[in-house]
Amino acid sequence: MKNITLRAEHITKDYPGTRALDDISIEFDSGKVNALVGKNGSGKSTLIKIFSGAVKPTSGAIFLDGKEIHFNNTAEAYGKGIVTVYQEMSLVPGLSVAENIFLGRMPMKNGIIDWPRAYQMAGDLLQKMKVRINPREILYRLSMWQMQVVEITKALSFNPQAILLDEPTSALAQNEVQNLFEAVRALRDQGVIVIYITHKLQELPQIADTVSVLRDGRLMGTVQMKEVQHKDIIDLMFGEVKIQSRPKDIQVQDEIVMEVKNLSREKWYKDVNFSLRRGEVLGIAGMLGSGRTELLRGIFGADPPDSGEVHIEGKPYKKTNPIKMKYAGVGLTPENRQLEGLILIHSILDNLCYASMDQTSNGLIENKRLRNTIAEKQIRELEIKTSNMEIPCNSLSGGNQQKVVLGNWLNTSPKIMLYDEPSRGIDVSAKQQIFEIMWAQARKGIATVFVSTELEELLEVCHRILIMRQGKIVGEVNPDKTRINELYEICMRGD
Amino acid sequence: MELQAAKKLMLNRKKLEIFLLDHAIEVILIVLMLALSFNVKGFMTWSNWMNILRANSLKGVIAFGMTMVIIAGLIDLSVGSTVALSGVIVARICRDLSAGGMDLTLACILGIATSILLAVAVGYMHGFFSHKAGMPPFIVTLVSYNALYGLAGMVSQGFPIANQYPEWFNVLGGGRINLPAWFSNLFGRTEIDGIPYPAVVLLVTFLIVFFIMGYTKIGRAIYATGGNPESARLSGINVYKTKVICFIIVQIMAVLSGFMVSGQVLAGSFSFGRDWGLDVISAVIIGGASFNGGLGKVWGTILGVIFMGVISNGMTLLNFDIYTQYVVRGIVMFLAVLISSYRSKVRA
Repeated sequence: MKNITLRAEHITKDYPGTRALDDISIEFDSGKVNALVGKNGSGKSTLIKIFSGAVKPTSGAIFLDGKEIHFNNTAEAYGKGIVTVYQEMSLVPGLSVAENIFLGRMPMKNGIIDWPRAYQMAGDLLQKMKVRINPREILYRLSMWQMQVVEITKALSFNPQAILLDEPTSALAQNEVQNLFEAVRALRDQGVIVIYITHKLQELPQIADTVSVLRDGRLMGTVQMKEVQHKDIIDLMFGEVKIQSRPKDIQVQDEIVMEVKNLSREKWYKDVNFSLRRGEVLGIAGMLGSGRTELLRGIFGADPPDSGEVHIEGKPYKKTNPIKMKYAGVGLTPENRQLEGLILIHSILDNLCYASMDQTSNGLIENKRLRNTIAEKQIRELEIKTSNMEIPCNSLSGGNQQKVVLGNWLNTSPKIMLYDEPSRGIDVSAKQQIFEIMWAQARKGIATVFVSTELEELLEVCHRILIMRQGKIVGEVNPDKTRINELYEICMRGD
Repeated sequence: MELQAAKKLMLNRKKLEIFLLDHAIEVILIVLMLALSFNVKGFMTWSNWMNILRANSLKGVIAFGMTMVIIAGLIDLSVGSTVALSGVIVARICRDLSAGGMDLTLACILGIATSILLAVAVGYMHGFFSHKAGMPPFIVTLVSYNALYGLAGMVSQGFPIANQYPEWFNVLGGGRINLPAWFSNLFGRTEIDGIPYPAVVLLVTFLIVFFIMGYTKIGRAIYATGGNPESARLSGINVYKTKVICFIIVQIMAVLSGFMVSGQVLAGSFSFGRDWGLDVISAVIIGGASFNGGLGKVWGTILGVIFMGVISNGMTLLNFDIYTQYVVRGIVMFLAVLISSYRSKVRA
């Protein structure tokens, strides 16, 4: 089989104010699974977008099989033989496997769909992937890994020379991953250049032949998987990170405000126990799918736990729900602020007062003046940038929207605040402001639970960090004595 | 300098555009009324306006409840059938019980109470099945639309129940508040038509709903529920309770409307009001409430009701046949929604 290479030379991508990619030169060979790793913000996704045609590089060139290629959009990249399979699936649940593979390109005969040929072609492709999936099966009856394989088979149907797989295992359960790997290896053996993007380092020894590591927009190196250890890759990913330290004056008080006892929710977390003190900022670290977000939502009752209790100031709550927990003094800023935290079409004023409706009314009639006062207070204290609090929230930037979500809860004078990925998708200075707010509230005695994908944030912000893995709390670390590489290693160890 | 002036002009033009779009319904209504006053004899007269009020108050009352329902992101298609059902329930109970020797007033009150209880139960069920069982409100209330209509037919055994009601019941639907002589003198007459009671009921319901939506906690919860039910829920707002309240209120208003219809025609019939649901929804949408929920004003709905009333009255005075009227009403609704979609684009 002929060996072909996808090569990028001196790729640089500038966005206003930042350089996302800095002079990247990289090569991917066919017949290998080439892993591409890097933490969030390393430039990984920008590089994928450039290969897939979604983004044009500021400078640099891409060569396939020695020839320079140009494309302006995804469709053109397909035409040149580079196909990207994204983590969000593009499949239609109600259609058959064959229809999904040839969506919009069904084989025709005399102006009507040639079904026998469609099934035949789909069956051939699936056979190449070495999986037993019936092309006539309706998609939603398949398991997650089978759907992912169908997605890859769809990519294969374009006869590509290179396939980019963007976090293909992110939605899969542990036992399904192996099945998917079988298919990826089959794909590799077809002579296709496989580029495998992942953040799960534990997968690398099983699936990757080479590993390229990106950090801060630069290529830190490409290594042969056989020759290296986990630790080497982690060091390449993180380098020496300076963790900013939290202010020293925030003292954890003795009084326990919340105790979580044997909290369980099927499939997500099991027998979780921990306690939280007044003024404490507690972090929960874990990989995607470890159950950290679900645990937070369980405590708040957004998705009630199956069993276990949450004790707030000694009072037990069995079946939690948001209304009950709000009255108990708990607030949650949800992971997706636009869909779960805000009512985007409503004003900043309204959004700052939804959780505190009871405080701003006599039970029946609203106190408009009080609403204005508390909204203005949050706008001032949280430094929400707006000239007019009557304008809808969808006109605010991400950072300011997040502050509105926070302000909505701070107006209820909570005792415990649960933050789910509060820094997602907001710029660096807004992030720092959010942390300042968290600390300021901790100084006032609010106890905080903080969930974040960004481990360095946890190290910076928290007094104490719990490690969550596969729905269980497996350990606890002191952020003052832990390096990020170690924390990362603990989070992904063993699964 | 020139550039700045041009920019300012542009800005002002955009402001004017947004103002006109925001108040499109008011502007069009005024233009329409002026046009009709000058061209149609008998349009701008006191008695014609009292007619418009009387004819549209019955649906209008329901429109305010429907405004709450639509702002909450819901829909209730069944209100027309509730109008019919409440009418026949009162008529049947009045007839049967008074035939058995019961005092007419007491029988009538019993009928009213039964209807209201039924409305509460129906509204509650709409809330329960749409929220707890996750059925689309459109379907749940479509089921009621058919079932309640059928029930009305069963209660009335397929015929209108012409009836003896207590006097006050008839007044509620058909009576008028007589106006003092000095008021009539203003129009240069000795006597003019009084204000129909249904118009008074309309005004009172308007004020109540206006107050609820603008000044109370439940009103705020209704906007929040329609704006984004998930965010509302995670803000500790009782979304289920909010939905149930909206569904119950619109049903009660439909029952009230049913009483007035019966009082006006002195009978209960299963065919009254059956197709009102869509008219009421049209008025609310023309009034500017967003079908996606979360946005809308009670004031807009009253304009929507008047708008629909003026159009059909004007067309009737112009001798348009009923079919043409339907076409025109369709076009009007189309334009209203087109304007409001365009408005949200301009704003963004």
